[in-house]
Amino acid sequence: MSALKTDFAGEKGDLFALALKTGFLTILTFGLYRFWAKTRLRRWYWSAIRPGGLGLEYLGSAHEKIMGFFVAIIVLALYLSVFNLVGLELVLAAANDTIGLQSFGLAALILVGFPLFFMARYRSRRYLLSRTTWLGVRLGMDAGAWGYAWRACLYWALTILSLGLFWPLKTFQLEKYVTNHSWYGTAQFKQHGNPLMLYGLAVPFLACIGGYVYLAYVAIQLPTTEEATLQDLELMGWLSLGAFCLFPVTLLAGAYFRVASIRAMAGLKELGDGMEFDLNPRTRKLLKIRIFGSLITAISLSFVSSVVIGLIAGVMMLLGYELDINFLFNTPPHIAMLAGTITGLLTYVLWGVFWHAFVTFPSTRHIAETLVIDEPMLLQRIRQRQDQSSGRMGILSEALDVGGAF
Amino acid sequence: MQESIRNPEFAAKLALAFGELLDGIRPALQRVSMRMVGEGRQAALELRNTQTHEVQHWPLRKMRLVPDQARNDALVIAPGDGEAARLVVRDRDAALAIVQAVPKMPNLGRNARAWPAIIGLGMAAAACLAGILFVLIPHMANRGAAHIPVEAEIEFGQSAYTQFTSAMGARECVDPIGEAAVVRMTARVTQGVDLYVPLDVHVVDHPMINAFALPGGQVVLHSALIEAAHSPEEVAAVLAHEIGHVYHRHSTSAAMRDMATFGVVGLVFGDYLGTSIMGAVANMAISSSHSRDAELAADEFAHHQLEEAGLPPSALGDMFHRMQENGLGQDLGFMQHLSTHPEMADRIAHAEAASTGAVFGGPVLTEAEWQAMRNMCN
Repeated sequence: MSALKTDFAGEKGDLFALALKTGFLTILTFGLYRFWAKTRLRRWYWSAIRPGGLGLEYLGSAHEKIMGFFVAIIVLALYLSVFNLVGLELVLAAANDTIGLQSFGLAALILVGFPLFFMARYRSRRYLLSRTTWLGVRLGMDAGAWGYAWRACLYWALTILSLGLFWPLKTFQLEKYVTNHSWYGTAQFKQHGNPLMLYGLAVPFLACIGGYVYLAYVAIQLPTTEEATLQDLELMGWLSLGAFCLFPVTLLAGAYFRVASIRAMAGLKELGDGMEFDLNPRTRKLLKIRIFGSLITAISLSFVSSVVIGLIAGVMMLLGYELDINFLFNTPPHIAMLAGTITGLLTYVLWGVFWHAFVTFPSTRHIAETLVIDEPMLLQRIRQRQDQSSGRMGILSEALDVGGAF
Repeated sequence: MQESIRNPEFAAKLALAFGELLDGIRPALQRVSMRMVGEGRQAALELRNTQTHEVQHWPLRKMRLVPDQARNDALVIAPGDGEAARLVVRDRDAALAIVQAVPKMPNLGRNARAWPAIIGLGMAAAACLAGILFVLIPHMANRGAAHIPVEAEIEFGQSAYTQFTSAMGARECVDPIGEAAVVRMTARVTQGVDLYVPLDVHVVDHPMINAFALPGGQVVLHSALIEAAHSPEEVAAVLAHEIGHVYHRHSTSAAMRDMATFGVVGLVFGDYLGTSIMGAVANMAISSSHSRDAELAADEFAHHQLEEAGLPPSALGDMFHRMQENGLGQDLGFMQHLSTHPEMADRIAHAEAASTGAVFGGPVLTEAEWQAMRNMCN
């Protein structure tokens, strides 16, 4: 049996219709339907991705999403009460009204939020995998959100302290942690390779960060504005220009690193004993999709308000009102408010619809079509994974989309 | 459920049809032949593996359709809710036959039993959210407001004043004699008060009868309010009320509260639609519940200061009646609570009864100063 290629079976028009329908239902239900909308769109995308010709299936339900959302609110309430309220009182008491200590304490309180963010990210991924099947067999992830959270905090701290030098290390180690906790049925994923292999891909990105560090270094050497000579000011101008021009280059280099590192690490993942993968998304293609997709979305949405005003004027004319050109320039306040509300809601729905059709859809299709599964014969050794979503109450985090709610 | 499987044509069609079975145990497709057996509630789809001849029966009434398929080139069916096995029918005729046999096959994942739990959790979450918005955030805002550096608050207040006035289209009235009168009036009503911040009282040209306080000691009087007043004592009463807000740092904690409220509501509802609608609703509810206490505290302060300065506290009530008469009271944050708080109206009525309206400590402004103040914006 040769390697399994992946098809993407779905039309942009169908997705557009589904996104439009669920978007309007979301508005009509004051936002409640968004849990169903998200579920249905995911089912659509999952079923479109067909490794070896057979689609994935998304098993998640709107019910568990809405429950996860409620649980998230309760967790937020507990977090805010415990950390912020108690923390604030402690800081106020301990700081003895010294402003420096107070701001230090408040910063520390904010930092407590980071582990929670990383935990939510891990849980969200765990939820997604546990709700995904292929060939009738579930994917899944071991519990490990705390382990992920402290590692993420540690590697981020290292990255920031090293001025970006440890960025590839962070990328590799976190991806390795997540991969090694992932399963397809009874087979476990393994991430091979080492962080060093990502450094080559990160050279442009690290060079850009180095450029910023250098600019900042030169800038702090300059005298303050009062004592600055004309030459200093000129140099300051050049520095600002440099920082400005470097920005898009940094973004490009960052995007390249992200895509290339995913590609490199996917090639070194192993499932069970010997199944391997290839995933070859191209940075240029994804960037093109992103840029043109955003442009199409923005341009299309810029017409919404004119269309709404036109429609309202049309309806009023049909109802027998006499309108002149002044109506456009001096719109009565209640009409303007109506038009504003309709424009706002339409923009909200259509933004999601266009973004799905012109950014998410083509990106997903491109990434999916580059997926190849080697040695599919080895699938024969794999069996269904034990269902961890039902039965035990302890696995609330997997059963409920807590992380995904935010 | 009445199935139309007595149709012999249908049974004949299916007998020749094949599908692909995923047994939910092994990740492999099995080719199966399909046949309908039984009748009524016993009606089932019989699936026979073409190689091993293993047989499964899927009761029709339990079968579920896997919905939202990206491409309708196959029918995907589950034997029931929560089951991992799937039947993929790519053959058009066979798929049609199944759809005709079970015309109203429910979608997978429609679980009506989940609703009691959802509603219960929803109520718990609503209670928690209310706790955050109505108890936690106001408490933290009040605590936080008392510890914000005064310089930062003054800076914030000044920029807020500039933004407010330009947003309202109001112009600051500059007239040395009028301003001197405002300063004198301010000094009179703040006798003996130790404020944490220097006051900055502005008069702006605006047709709405209103006055408000901003963070950092910024107090704003509208020209229309001064024009509507019958005596400088009435303006002094309003001024004292607004200074009461400054004294209690109400605007500062309100600003912090608003920011935190929008932050939490934005986090919870997570999108543009939810944030804008729920943010506005939550903020309105919270503001009205808290402004009542704040207004009471400011009135208390005004009352005390007016007495201290030898001015009639009933002027506060006079000003309120003036606004009611003009039908302009509805837009006022100031004294709005009077409509909802009968006991305050009573209190003012008492104050009026007790007070003769005489100015014990001498008039707050001379006639010339009063006229200058009234004409500040002309």
